[in-house]
Amino acid sequence: MPTTVGTEAQNADARGGSATGSVEPVLVAEGLVRSFGSLRAVDGVSLRILPGETFGLLGPNGAGKTTVISMIAGLLQPDEGTVTVAGVPMGRSSVEAKGHIGLVPQDLAIYPELSARDNLQFFGKLQGMHGRPLRDRVAEVLDLVGLGDRAKEQSKKFSGGMKRRLNIGIGLLHQPDLLILDEPTVGVDPQSRNAILESVEALSGEGMAVLYTTHYMEEAERLCDRILILDSGQAQAEGTRDELIELTGDADRVHLSGSGDLAAAEGAVAGIPAVASVHRDPHALDLTVRGAPTAIALIVNAATGAGMKLSNVEIRRPDLESVFLHLTGKALRD
Amino acid sequence: MGRVLTMVLSDLKQRVRDFSVLVFAVLVPLALMFVMNLVLSGVADEGLQPITVAVSVPDGDELAAVVPHVLGEASLGELRVTVRDADPEEVRGFVDDGTAGLGVVVPADFTAALTSGTGPEVEIIRGDDSGIAGSVVTAIVDGTLAQLTAGTRAAVAAQGLGVPPEQLGALAQAVATEAPQVTWTEGRTASEQLGMGESIVAGQSGMFLLFTVGFGVLALVTERGQGTLGRLLSMPMKPELIVLAKGIVSFVLGILATTVLLVAGATFFEDVDFGSPVAVAALVVLVVAATTSIMFVIAKVARTAEQAGIAQAIVAVSLGMSGGAFFPVANTGWVGQLLSVNPVKAFTNGLGITAGGGGVGDLGPTALTMAVFTVACLALARVLPERKDVL
Ligand SMILES: Nc1ncnc2c1ncn2[C@@H]1O[C@H](COP(=O)(O)OP(=O)(O)O)[C@@H](O)[C@H]1O
Ligand SMILES: [Mg+2]
Repeated sequence: MPTTVGTEAQNADARGGSATGSVEPVLVAEGLVRSFGSLRAVDGVSLRILPGETFGLLGPNGAGKTTVISMIAGLLQPDEGTVTVAGVPMGRSSVEAKGHIGLVPQDLAIYPELSARDNLQFFGKLQGMHGRPLRDRVAEVLDLVGLGDRAKEQSKKFSGGMKRRLNIGIGLLHQPDLLILDEPTVGVDPQSRNAILESVEALSGEGMAVLYTTHYMEEAERLCDRILILDSGQAQAEGTRDELIELTGDADRVHLSGSGDLAAAEGAVAGIPAVASVHRDPHALDLTVRGAPTAIALIVNAATGAGMKLSNVEIRRPDLESVFLHLTGKALRD
Repeated sequence: MGRVLTMVLSDLKQRVRDFSVLVFAVLVPLALMFVMNLVLSGVADEGLQPITVAVSVPDGDELAAVVPHVLGEASLGELRVTVRDADPEEVRGFVDDGTAGLGVVVPADFTAALTSGTGPEVEIIRGDDSGIAGSVVTAIVDGTLAQLTAGTRAAVAAQGLGVPPEQLGALAQAVATEAPQVTWTEGRTASEQLGMGESIVAGQSGMFLLFTVGFGVLALVTERGQGTLGRLLSMPMKPELIVLAKGIVSFVLGILATTVLLVAGATFFEDVDFGSPVAVAALVVLVVAATTSIMFVIAKVARTAEQAGIAQAIVAVSLGMSGGAFFPVANTGWVGQLLSVNPVKAFTNGLGITAGGGGVGDLGPTALTMAVFTVACLALARVLPERKDVL
C-alpha cells in the first residue's frame, strides 16, 4: 500500500532538495516501444515524472497516448523498454508497482449495476483498504467528486458527467503516488469539465503526481508543469510550456481566412522573411511569424496581391497549437 | 484470497441484481419442466378430451412441417390429437364451427423469419371449449417453436462465427428431425435407467447449466467491453486472480442452480428420485466444473459480449439437446463428433446410475469423462492466443 506519509515525505524532500537533483522520480519510463501488427503505435517514448508534478501527454487522436499509459500501468507488456514506478519495476504481474498508481481509463470503468459507494468500496478493497479507513475515505472521495448526495444510487442512472467524476474518484481513492488520467474531459459538458480540471489542480496542490493525457492544448497549458508532445507514436518534444514555445522561435501565429487564390497567396506570403511557416486549409492560411505586429501589413498586402480575398485576420501569441504545427506541420485539433 | 473473495461477492451481487441469472438458471427450466411434465403425465383429475387441430403449413417448408409432425405424434397417455390439414383461410372457420378445437397457422415466411432471427409469428386460435387438451397442445406448439427458434438461432449465429454451411445443415437437421420427439415419446430417452420425469429434470438442469455458468466467466468479456477489466488489471494483484474469481462465480452459480432444479424436480414431480445424495452431489460438482471450463474457452475466443452469448447458445443448445437428455440423436456429422464427449450426457448417464441405486464408486467412467473434459477445456483455454492483450 502506498502511504500518504511516504508521499509527503518525498515532497518535503522535493521542495528541500530539488536543487541537488536528488529527488527520486515517481515514474521512469525508458524507450517504450509497442507495435500492433505492422503498426508501431508507440515508438521509443521515454519520460520521467517527479513527485508532485503534473505531466502532460499531448497529442492528437491515435498518437499513442493510451498505449503509453497502458504500458505504464502494467496492462500492456512493452515490446521494448522499461517502466519503473516509485523505484519498483512495472509489469503485468507487478503487484507492488501497481499499488503506487491510480489509473483512470479513458473509457468509463465503473460497474453500472453498483452504486457509487459500492463501486468505490469494491475498488478500495482491491487496493488493500478495509474497515473504517476505507469507509471514511470513500465518504471523503464521494464529497470530493460531488456525489455525496447520490452515493446510494446505481451508477447507470448517472449523467455522463457524474459517471466521469465517479470514474476519477475510483482512481484517487487510495491516494496513489501517481495518478494517471487518460483524456478525462472527452465528451463532458463544459461545467463538469471545469469541475474536473479544478479537481486535478487541487490534487497536484496536495502533492500527488499526475500523468494527464489530452488532445486539448488549453488543458495541457492550464494544468501541466511539463508536457510531452506525442505524434505517430514518437515524442516530438518535451519541456515546460515556455520551453516548448521557444522551439517555435517565439513566433506569433497569424490566421488569414478568406477565399480566392489561396495557393498563390501561400507562395507569396512564404517569401516574406518574417514568415517562418505556412499551412494552407481550403479557406484559410495559418502562418507562424516572427514579430507579427510589424510584419502584418506586408503579409496582408502579399496575400491580397496574389488574389486572396480576405474576410478575417487574426494575430495570436504563440501557444502549444503553434508548437505542434511547427514540429509536425499538422494541426493538433481534430 | 481476500481480493478474490471481494471480486466473487461483488459479482454475485451484480448477477443477482440483474435478474437474468434467476430467470435463465431457475425459472425458465422449472417452467419447462412443468410444461413437459403436464404433457407427459396427463391430467389426472379432469381427464383429457380428444382434440382435433386444424393446421395450415406453407407448402414445401421443412421446418414448418415440424409442427404438424409433432402434433401427429403427440397422442400419448390420455391425450388424443387428430391433425387436420387446412389452408390458411380455412383454419378459423374450422375452429368457429367446432370442426377443430384448435387452429394453428404457420406463416408463409416461417423459415425465412427463423433464419433471419426475427422470429416468425405463428397464429394459434383456440376454440371456446378446447379445455385442458387445448392448453396442452398449445404448450406443445409453443415448446416446439422455442426449440426451433433456439436451434435456428444457434445455426444462424454459427454462420457469423464462420462454421461451414454443411455443418449448419447438420445442426438444423438435428433440430428439425429430432426435436419433435422431444418430450413425448416415452421410453426413448438416452439413459435407460431414468424414468421420463427424471430425464426431463436432468436434461433441463444440464442444458440450462450451460447458460448459468456463462454468467460467471463470460462476465470477463462484458468487463472487457465495459472497461472495468482494464481497471481490474491495474489493481495491485496478480491478473490470474481475476480469472480465478470469475471461475468461482460460475461454479457457485452452477452448483446453486443445479441443486435447486434437482431438488425442485424431485419435490414437485412424482416418481423422480435420483438416489444417493452424495453420489448426486459428486455428479453436480463434476458437471459444473466441466461446463465452467467450456466458458473459459469461449471467454478466450469471443471478442464481444454478443459473440460470447452466441457461442454459449450454440454450445448449450447442441450439448443440451444432443446430449441425449431430450431425444436420441444419431452420432453422425460434426454434431455427433462434438458430442462424443459430452458433459451433459455424462451427467444424465450418471444420474441414471445413481437413480438405479449406484453409489459414488459406480461413477468411475462417467466421472472420468467429465474430469477429462474439464482438464481438456482448461488446457485449451490456456494455449489459445490472447486477444488484445487483456487476459
Ligand atoms: N489493441 C490494439 N490493437 C490494434 N491497434 C491498436 C490497439 N490499440 C491501439 N491501437 C492503434 O494504435 C494507435 C495508437 O492508439 P492509442 O494509443 O489508443 O492512441 P491515442 O490514445 O493517442 O488516441 C492507433 O492507431 C490505434 O488504432
Ligand atoms: Mg486514447
